Amino acid sequence: MAKLNKDSLKTLSFITYFIILFVFWFILSGYLKSLLLFFGLVSVLFVFWMSYRAKALEEDSLPLKIILRLPFYWIWLFKEIFKSGITTTALIWNGKYSPQLISVKASQKNRTGIANYANAITLTPGTVTIEVDKKTFLVHALSKKLSEDLQTDDMNKVITDLDK
Amino acid sequence: MSYNYIELISLVLLAIGCFFILSGSLGLIKLPDVFSRIHAAGLIDTLGSGFIVLALIVYSGFSLLSLKLLLIPLFLIFTSPVTGHAIALFAHESGYKPKGKNKK
Repeated sequence: MAKLNKDSLKTLSFITYFIILFVFWFILSGYLKSLLLFFGLVSVLFVFWMSYRAKALEEDSLPLKIILRLPFYWIWLFKEIFKSGITTTALIWNGKYSPQLISVKASQKNRTGIANYANAITLTPGTVTIEVDKKTFLVHALSKKLSEDLQTDDMNKVITDLDK
Repeated sequence: MSYNYIELISLVLLAIGCFFILSGSLGLIKLPDVFSRIHAAGLIDTLGSGFIVLALIVYSGFSLLSLKLLLIPLFLIFTSPVTGHAIALFAHESGYKPKGKNKK
């Protein structure tokens, strides 16, 4: 997959996008009649044309390389959310919070990766990305332990590896 | 007999989800400033809704419906950090300083 040139990569990402759209339509509707499937195809084509026209299909916005790793990443992310959620819940109940601001460095190469990392920080309870400045984030953490967890750089590494 | 097990599992998951929503709401009142309260709201968004959707999936059995239910947390993964970040950024830009130490 890595050896493909730019044009065929683009075609491949178009096809993937089309398939994702159609599967999405099917999950939401659940119809199997051929007439309704045809209508679904028409609406999917319409959405495809609209997003092509809106230039939403640039290479940065359709990260084809990471699409297979995404489910594993989501499972890992859910585990992280659960862990820090327990910590945050304990902090709320026992009142031993000490809010603090820290700055975190991001090592992702492209914009999608940086947005991904910032979102992952915000998504885990107890840490919120306030400001993104090129490669450093301003992060608000609810306690010292949570900010130290973030500064071990584990999450940064996982999300950087996602894009290899 | 197995029917009862399924009901029991989904009941436990619902209880866990409700517990997280309760602690999130408590945090929303108890915590000192805007930035800390966002954490509590995030707790409701991720763990509260996540566990409740999980309980509903277990309860309804695996079908097309459970795939639809799985789409809810998937969209929340994308939307909830954006709202949290928007509130935090706006508070930061308009000059709110986060409170430093625990005053109790």
